[in-house]
Amino acid sequence: MTRYIIRRLLWGALLLPLVSALTFVLFRILPTGDPARLRAGRSASPKVIAELRVDLGLNKPLIDQFWLYMKGIFLHFNLGYSYYSTAPVRGLIADRLPATISLTLGAAVIWLLSGLAVGIISAVWRRSKLDRAAMGTALVLISAPEYWLGLIALYLFAADIGQLKVFPGAGSYVGLTSDPWKWLTSLILPWLVLAATNAAIYARLIRGNLIETMGEDYIRTARAKGLTERRVILRHGLRSAINPVMTILGLDIGILLGGAVLVETVFEIPGIGRLNYDAITHSDFPIVQGTVLVAALFIIVANIVVDIAYAYLDPRVRFR
Amino acid sequence: MIKTMRIGALVALAAACATTIAACGSGGTSSSSVNANGIQSPKTEPQTGGKRGRTLIVLNHEDFENIDPGIAYFSIDYEAVYATQRPLFSYRPNTFAEASPDLASGPAEISSDGKTITVHIRHGVHFSPPVNREVTSADVAYAIERGANPNVANPYFESYFSSLEGFSKAKGGPFPGITTPDKYTIIFHLAKPNAQIVLDALVLPLSAPVPEEYAKKYDAKKPTEYGNYQVATGPYMFKADSEGKVLGVGYQPGKSATLVRNPNWNSATDFRPAYLDGIDIQIGGDKNVIGRQVLEGSDMVQNDPPAKTIVQLAYEKFRSQLEISPGAGTHYIAVNNKQGPFANINLRKAFWAALDRVAMNKASGGSLVADVETHFLYPEIPGFEDAGGLAGPKVDYNEHPEGDMAVAGKYMRLAGYPSGKYTGSKTLQVVGSTAHAEEAEIANSTLRSLGFNTKLSLVDQSVMYAKYCGVPAEEIDVCPNVGWVADFADGQAVLDVAFNGKNIIPSGNNNWGQVNDPTINAAMDKAELLIGKEAREKAWAAIDEELVADAAAVPYAFIKEPVIESKDVAGVGDLWNAGAWDYSFTSLK
Repeated sequence: MTRYIIRRLLWGALLLPLVSALTFVLFRILPTGDPARLRAGRSASPKVIAELRVDLGLNKPLIDQFWLYMKGIFLHFNLGYSYYSTAPVRGLIADRLPATISLTLGAAVIWLLSGLAVGIISAVWRRSKLDRAAMGTALVLISAPEYWLGLIALYLFAADIGQLKVFPGAGSYVGLTSDPWKWLTSLILPWLVLAATNAAIYARLIRGNLIETMGEDYIRTARAKGLTERRVILRHGLRSAINPVMTILGLDIGILLGGAVLVETVFEIPGIGRLNYDAITHSDFPIVQGTVLVAALFIIVANIVVDIAYAYLDPRVRFR
Repeated sequence: MIKTMRIGALVALAAACATTIAACGSGGTSSSSVNANGIQSPKTEPQTGGKRGRTLIVLNHEDFENIDPGIAYFSIDYEAVYATQRPLFSYRPNTFAEASPDLASGPAEISSDGKTITVHIRHGVHFSPPVNREVTSADVAYAIERGANPNVANPYFESYFSSLEGFSKAKGGPFPGITTPDKYTIIFHLAKPNAQIVLDALVLPLSAPVPEEYAKKYDAKKPTEYGNYQVATGPYMFKADSEGKVLGVGYQPGKSATLVRNPNWNSATDFRPAYLDGIDIQIGGDKNVIGRQVLEGSDMVQNDPPAKTIVQLAYEKFRSQLEISPGAGTHYIAVNNKQGPFANINLRKAFWAALDRVAMNKASGGSLVADVETHFLYPEIPGFEDAGGLAGPKVDYNEHPEGDMAVAGKYMRLAGYPSGKYTGSKTLQVVGSTAHAEEAEIANSTLRSLGFNTKLSLVDQSVMYAKYCGVPAEEIDVCPNVGWVADFADGQAVLDVAFNGKNIIPSGNNNWGQVNDPTINAAMDKAELLIGKEAREKAWAAIDEELVADAAAVPYAFIKEPVIESKDVAGVGDLWNAGAWDYSFTSLK
């Protein structure tokens, strides 16, 4: 098991520089705004732009720029300064991370619990009216664009612009440490919207897996041993059916920790996703680079955790 | 000599000072701030009589570009910068024609040879904490000098101040073009007699004082960090800690900004009423959501252009909370005057005649937010009326805003295409912006209706300028989505950079059509040296007429910018800044 974990960690460590290199190459190949010009302002003279190009190191050969870029990140953990606001990128990311973590983890709890509950109920009472209603709703939620769902949620339930003034609306987010109650209430709508699609997917996935698992021989054996149906489902059926869900849960959390752009934008939550989106629209390479790295880090870590959990749940994996 | 343009939703701004920089602008006290159609206009909003106190909430989709007064160059930046900083001159909200002395104690004096400008500054203006001391002319000198510091890299320093003596050697420290004979006097020495344009530029935030002893250590950083530690002279300041640090305290990029009262501001030295206790700016919301929050909520404004759907909603249901500002810039189609088919003047005229400018404007929101553009000087710019006003010059290719294929055919034949259709083999390279795709498509289909083969590429606006339209070597034939906003109300600020051949540069070029008519160039160079509002108006209006006669580009929109407020906000918009709400004049009812 230890060797397995070390192997996964080493792969993760190798992936980070690869992702950094890819970001660097993509940013320079794709047509974007000239960073020196961006920094200089729209009508700066060629002289000013040329000076800035030197300051930003953009006059150096590409390979030198690449070396400086990698050295800055991995030897000094220096992500540079925003071309746009001149603020240090590391500080910007650290500032935004708590909001994204709050949003993602809360939503993950909701979608996992609701997905599990609905999936189990649908599998146990399959083809019942309850199952059909649940799977129909799931289909609607999977099809609904997140952005649209967010707007609808606000127009229906936000305290400021909603028809039923129930939850705090967009822009109400505050940090957990500054006001825990406000933090909690401001995140209810975003959590529900962010969780909706994933909950629906998980419910369908768990339903399908559980139906398949419940037809296995060992389930019949468990029933023959006289175990209660509840025990058969939860201890024997679900443990096997949940394995694929664990895999996508890790990936989903990793991806969302890299930024839930649409939900963060609609609900005006200052998270990593919005930071990244703004940076892309402004061709602000240092921030794009920083946020992509953070996203990659989360995805890699989530993958490693999932792999380890998977290996724990399924002994066949660790011996491959 | 001017600034750049910007197309798209957010309009940049401008500023300037007119000839006789005298007290002006007055505090208009109109009994009603709304027009006959129930919409507000910055021209008529009352500037006096507001209630004091409370905090205004600003919901903006866009972030600041830069809050350093030496770098700020964007409409949203300007509203915060002009509430916190005092340049030598500035505009009152209802005017884009006359600048008022701000930090200056009175009008500037221009020497008879047009090569020296003397400005006296007010006594008793103090910097905010932690500097606290009185402002002197040396602080203004340093503020302008730092524009040449590569770490500051002011975007318009070279455009407007290059005639200062010793400019070429300026690196951020003292140079011979600026002297301060005493604590309250600053003198600008020019190598050529273009005092008017230098004086006009003193309305820009670069002339707001910066204390050298405090700022120098921040200006030594690459890039400067003074903006993150700035001190204020205006009625408000960015909230800061005891060390003066703004970043992370009063400004969190992409998130929020907080303006609080400047404890050292003395109202006796300022024309701003400053009714509000503070301004809380929230950044980054979805335009459809924040628009509704503002219209249905209280104490709020949106200070960047609302979504089209929100403007429509405001017009239908919240009309008195909608302000539309004229004179917010211009949109036109740049055509390559140097090479390719449009080097032929008659083909340019044919394109102009054929284009349905009404349809172009409908695509961007219709007559509520744009008038059909008929020439290049736009409303509120001196010379606009002399150059033809809204109707524009009486030339046949300009007289049919919906497009006239008969007139277009006439010019096609004059260009040597007897069938009225282009028969050359050239495929036109057309590069537009994704933000204005519909307008680009209309322009492209017009070209095709004239027989041209075209290749239309739609790219991000910044890419359109940086990689294509602003790079002559790319040989782009048509850029259908370019636009311009003047830095100040002067014809030169609209026409010079965009149409003077001497301003064509290899990259970052703003003369997108590479217009280079020696007669027009000479007229512009002559007009630059004129002193006096009336003379300049007439000269630049005449140049505008020449540009129309030359069909140097194809104009289509005089932009009018909308902004919105909550019902309990007595908003006062800045005519000089595309109608954006002025925090120093706005109050809560």
